[in-house]
Amino acid sequence: MRIRTAGVVTVLGLALAASGCGGDNSKDEPAAKATSPAASGKLVIWADDKRTAALKPFAEKFGQENGVTVEVQAVSKDLQTNFVTASQQGSGPDVVVGAHDWIGNLVQNGAIDPVQLAAEQKSGFNETAIKAVTFNGQLYGVPYATENVALIRNTALAPEAPKTIEELVATGKKLKAEKKASEILCLQSGQNGDAYHIYPLYTSAGGYLFGTAANGDYDPKDLGVGKPESIEAFTKIGKLGEKGDGALKRSITGENSIATFTGKKCAFLVSGPWAIADAKKAGISYDISPVPGFAGGKAAQPFVGVQAFYVAAKGKNKALAQEFVTNYVTTPELAVALYQAEPRPPALTAAFDQVKGTDPDLAKFSEAGKDGQVLPAIPAMAAIWDPFGKAEAAVIGGADPAKTVTAAGKTISGQIK
Amino acid sequence: MTTRPSAGPQAPAAPAVRSDAAGPRVGRPGAAVRGGRHPGRWFTQVGWRHVVGVLAVAFSLFPILFVLSAALNPLGTLSSTELLPTGASLSNFGDLFERTEFGRWFLNSLLVAGGASCASIFLSSLAAYAFSRMRFAGRRFGLLTLLLIQMFPQFLAIVAIFLIFTRVTDLWPSIGFNTPWGLLLLYMGGALGMNTWLMKGFFDTLPRELDESATMDGASHAQVFFRIMLPLVAPILAVTALLSFIGTINEFMIANVFLTDTGSKTLAVGMFGLVAGERNNNFGIFAAGTLLTAVPTVLVFQLLQRYIVSGLTAGAVKG
Amino acid sequence: MSTLPGPGPAPQAPGRGPARSGPPDTSRTARHHAPITATGLAVKVVLLGLVAGIAIWAAFPLVAARLWGGLAVLAATTVGLCYLYLTRRHIPAKYLVPGTIFLIAFQVFPVLYTASTAFTNFGDGHRGSKDDAVVAIETSSVKQVPGSAEYALAIATTGDPATGPLVFLVTDPATGRVSAGDAAGLRPLDAADVTVAGSGRVTAAKGYTVLNVGQASVRSEEITALVVPTSGGAVRSNGLSRAYEGRAVRAYDRGCDCVTDGETGKTWTADPDAGAFVAADGERLAQGWQVGVGFKNFARVLTDPNISGPFFGTLLWNFAFAIGSTGFTFALGMAVALALHSPRMRGTNLYRVFLILPYAMPSFAMLLVWRDMFNTDFGLVNNLFGLGVDWFGEAWSARLAVLLVQLWLGYPYMFLVTTGALQAIPKELTEATSVDGASPWQSFRAVTLPLLLVALSPLLIASFAYNFNNINAIWLTTEGGPFAPDNPTNGATDLLITYTYRLAFGAQGAEFGLAAAVSIFIFAIVATVSAVSFRRTRQQEEVYS
Repeated sequence: MRIRTAGVVTVLGLALAASGCGGDNSKDEPAAKATSPAASGKLVIWADDKRTAALKPFAEKFGQENGVTVEVQAVSKDLQTNFVTASQQGSGPDVVVGAHDWIGNLVQNGAIDPVQLAAEQKSGFNETAIKAVTFNGQLYGVPYATENVALIRNTALAPEAPKTIEELVATGKKLKAEKKASEILCLQSGQNGDAYHIYPLYTSAGGYLFGTAANGDYDPKDLGVGKPESIEAFTKIGKLGEKGDGALKRSITGENSIATFTGKKCAFLVSGPWAIADAKKAGISYDISPVPGFAGGKAAQPFVGVQAFYVAAKGKNKALAQEFVTNYVTTPELAVALYQAEPRPPALTAAFDQVKGTDPDLAKFSEAGKDGQVLPAIPAMAAIWDPFGKAEAAVIGGADPAKTVTAAGKTISGQIK
Repeated sequence: MTTRPSAGPQAPAAPAVRSDAAGPRVGRPGAAVRGGRHPGRWFTQVGWRHVVGVLAVAFSLFPILFVLSAALNPLGTLSSTELLPTGASLSNFGDLFERTEFGRWFLNSLLVAGGASCASIFLSSLAAYAFSRMRFAGRRFGLLTLLLIQMFPQFLAIVAIFLIFTRVTDLWPSIGFNTPWGLLLLYMGGALGMNTWLMKGFFDTLPRELDESATMDGASHAQVFFRIMLPLVAPILAVTALLSFIGTINEFMIANVFLTDTGSKTLAVGMFGLVAGERNNNFGIFAAGTLLTAVPTVLVFQLLQRYIVSGLTAGAVKG
Repeated sequence: MSTLPGPGPAPQAPGRGPARSGPPDTSRTARHHAPITATGLAVKVVLLGLVAGIAIWAAFPLVAARLWGGLAVLAATTVGLCYLYLTRRHIPAKYLVPGTIFLIAFQVFPVLYTASTAFTNFGDGHRGSKDDAVVAIETSSVKQVPGSAEYALAIATTGDPATGPLVFLVTDPATGRVSAGDAAGLRPLDAADVTVAGSGRVTAAKGYTVLNVGQASVRSEEITALVVPTSGGAVRSNGLSRAYEGRAVRAYDRGCDCVTDGETGKTWTADPDAGAFVAADGERLAQGWQVGVGFKNFARVLTDPNISGPFFGTLLWNFAFAIGSTGFTFALGMAVALALHSPRMRGTNLYRVFLILPYAMPSFAMLLVWRDMFNTDFGLVNNLFGLGVDWFGEAWSARLAVLLVQLWLGYPYMFLVTTGALQAIPKELTEATSVDGASPWQSFRAVTLPLLLVALSPLLIASFAYNFNNINAIWLTTEGGPFAPDNPTNGATDLLITYTYRLAFGAQGAEFGLAAAVSIFIFAIVATVSAVSFRRTRQQEEVYS
């Protein structure tokens, strides 16, 4: 009894102490905190975890050179949504780093401002990258890296790059029969599909997502999903699926596709630059080539995505944010450093040229993305991912393409305003 | 809290319990003899319990074994991992401390989870006592409200949380975003929720004679609560403290929006960052972190275990 | 408080009568005022002092920000607390208020706020006010005047660097001419008075103090706000070292309540019902604002075939899931707890530590691990047992798998709680029945289970309610799938909440208003079910309390 009472009293004491400490500490802190912002401005940058780590040293350097405080903060999940919500309430950052397909949504919420780049600054960038961050005729972000998927193959198993998907399947089947591999192709799908990775095959088979308007922008009113071309494309994809060649499988997911490749269980992997580090670590001899299309089909066009810096519309320190984004992010030194932290092709031509000599993979990835399509940044794109992916998974599992794709098209057009 | 000797209020209660206990006591030695002397009966008395225990432990552990083998696997990817460890390397643990601020996250988590669970059992035991022992207008309505309020989806409330804490951060930065104190306050909002229900159910099982006689003896309601009720519900205080500790240390959704500064993160947020955006290849480090996250919980459990298993009635009788 | 005269303990002594028959709130508490003890008083004074101290600390920023409303709430709360704990009345409130304050601030308010958004079009594109939308439209239409110069910029002041009026010192790179600009316009400076660096930026100028980046960054808002009018548009800062001549192509006109594009002449008129600027041809500007839409979101839930069509099927599974999750975890947790609850068991401590491990691991991580374990070709479950089940591909196997994962995650909780509750059951009671010749099963049914249910049935209701909305359990495993090929919006394991989530956040932009409306429907359903089952616990409560 005594022991128990003592225990309870201790616990309660701790509880009180905890609340008491809260009171005490808070009394001391505001004074200390209030003085620091007065001395110099503060720039807050939000990014995902990986980029936060890469950015930190350079942000600090920028801060030291200019006598300001720079904080890089990582938001691990739902960065885009949290940025929009926080901005609107006035507690957001000054700069945010993210993919260019966020732009449509960020603009409709008034969360970011256009950036003004001088003509000579603009010309230093890869044209696709500039096109990607341009929305409604305005430049909304400063790009720093591009990314797209390519076909990565294990050269010990498949020395030659396949020219068509049929050739790839034939090689894969042969390897499977010889028990050198257990899978034909590692292209991630999962139970609910993966629109991003299947897209090259979809375009090669003739499908499209949105038509283009006269000015070259994507037109949300011309939806390609559900059209006869898309049904035909999905029919071709279905033939590669579980009931057909078995090259596409729902059991290959984002979690296991790279690992299966590095485990030498499949000779071909459709993935991006982020997979290379693993392949190197596993000691695979690999080569990179464009994702092959169907024989006699159109070109297989992967999505090209661009990572960019944006100036928050409601940041507390917009002038400093503009200074950082337009004058510091546009320097090749930063682009090279970001590349070293994470090997994606820099968007700045000067930086790209600087690193391509030491990294042959880079040129191969950008070659694979040469015919690529810029990922649509219009808000309507958000309605595509989920139904499109599920249609893909269903067709891979053997469902009727016409019925599936028509249903997906109906769902998507219902979601687009 | 009181100057009265504790024996006073309890004295009338004790005989009542004892008289209940008198009969069964006679039977007890016999039971011990029966179980102890016949090895064949050992299984029906005790052995099957071990079988159940071992099966349950196996069920509990096998996914964790998978995580363990990922943590020890130097390649550390989610699917290159088999159930049994293929390599024994501590490199993932090393990386965890070198490449991340794991130590800071760990301390932040202990602070927030420890503080939140202590404060929350205090607040909820107060409320549970009132709900169980007092009758007042709106009692059942209050209980029901407490339950229903928990049911509103949290992901929608995030907007409102931003709304509140943007203001708070402007006015009182020391309890605003990126501070453990602010997060602690926010968690206090959920303190009443489930815990009150759990404790109220427990208070309900305590015989009313205990506190009634104490009250008649002149003890104030505070004395009844602190001197009589709290010690008696020590097991459930411990259970609640543990559940609340686990709940807080694993809480992710709110902490993710609340803590953006790397140094202020908790384990759940920091560790999610390891797998998010990395497309699978950090899983080894993540698995190592997951295992280490479980360590404080197990320690807290060990610490509280004797309260959890010590018999309630034993406490009442031996006083 | 007390209506009974004197101590009068005798009539109440035998038992529980007053709880049911007597005047409910007077019988039990404060029969006669207990003497105030010294320790009690000291604790009270210290705690109230702490409250007052915190209140004073919190008051200063409120005063500084002139938030009198907030100050009034703070003062009222503090005075209320002091009154409550200094008076002898309102005893239940003394116990309820501390937790309730936090509950109101951080749970009730967010819930009410969220519920209120169900009556608006709150969502992406309609988050802020109309003024916000106008500012966003105008700012995002600022374009550089064609053919205009790109200036090098230095920020300067004629007074103190921290407070003096700001001036832009801009250098035209083509001519090298330096001008000073403020709200009055640009005026050229004499080349002899300025020092220009290689980059073209002015480093010193007579009569001006040039600010460095650190100094300028503190005055960021003023710099952004400073627009120097010119004939073609205005010189605006672009960061701290460059300036350009820009013009807002679109402008809002309060008179016609419309936005006009200066280049094309097209106008978009405000539509207060939609919260957007709409052109004659139906084109909308992307930046809208939040407006009230009445019951439109609720009507949509009921009439939109996409939402209401699969509603009942989903609801049925939702109940099965919540009941299954609660029931199975409770059954297993209780079974294990009972098995280990024996004075002769050795090593129970060790068992317990291992058993709670699933609960100690971060659940989102373990959900991901389980998802991987159910993979058809690579998953541990199929590989270990030599199966080829497409777990997440078939409706029933997916449901089974989800429940199994829930069982794994949740039973340690039930185990712990039951273990705690078992301590409350006097051994004498169970032993008494075994002496009477009852089998263990009979004694379990007659004594242990009813007593356990007294302590745990509120908890089971709570667990049911939690699992009814357990979004993570589904979202991190099946994501609601498998989906019928012809219906990608509703899957076999979808709960109402995951289904809502997909509808509200999978569209062109997040629709918080719709999500809130669906949540209110779900809330009403669960509330009814819980209230009914809660009503049934009343009897138990009164019998055993």
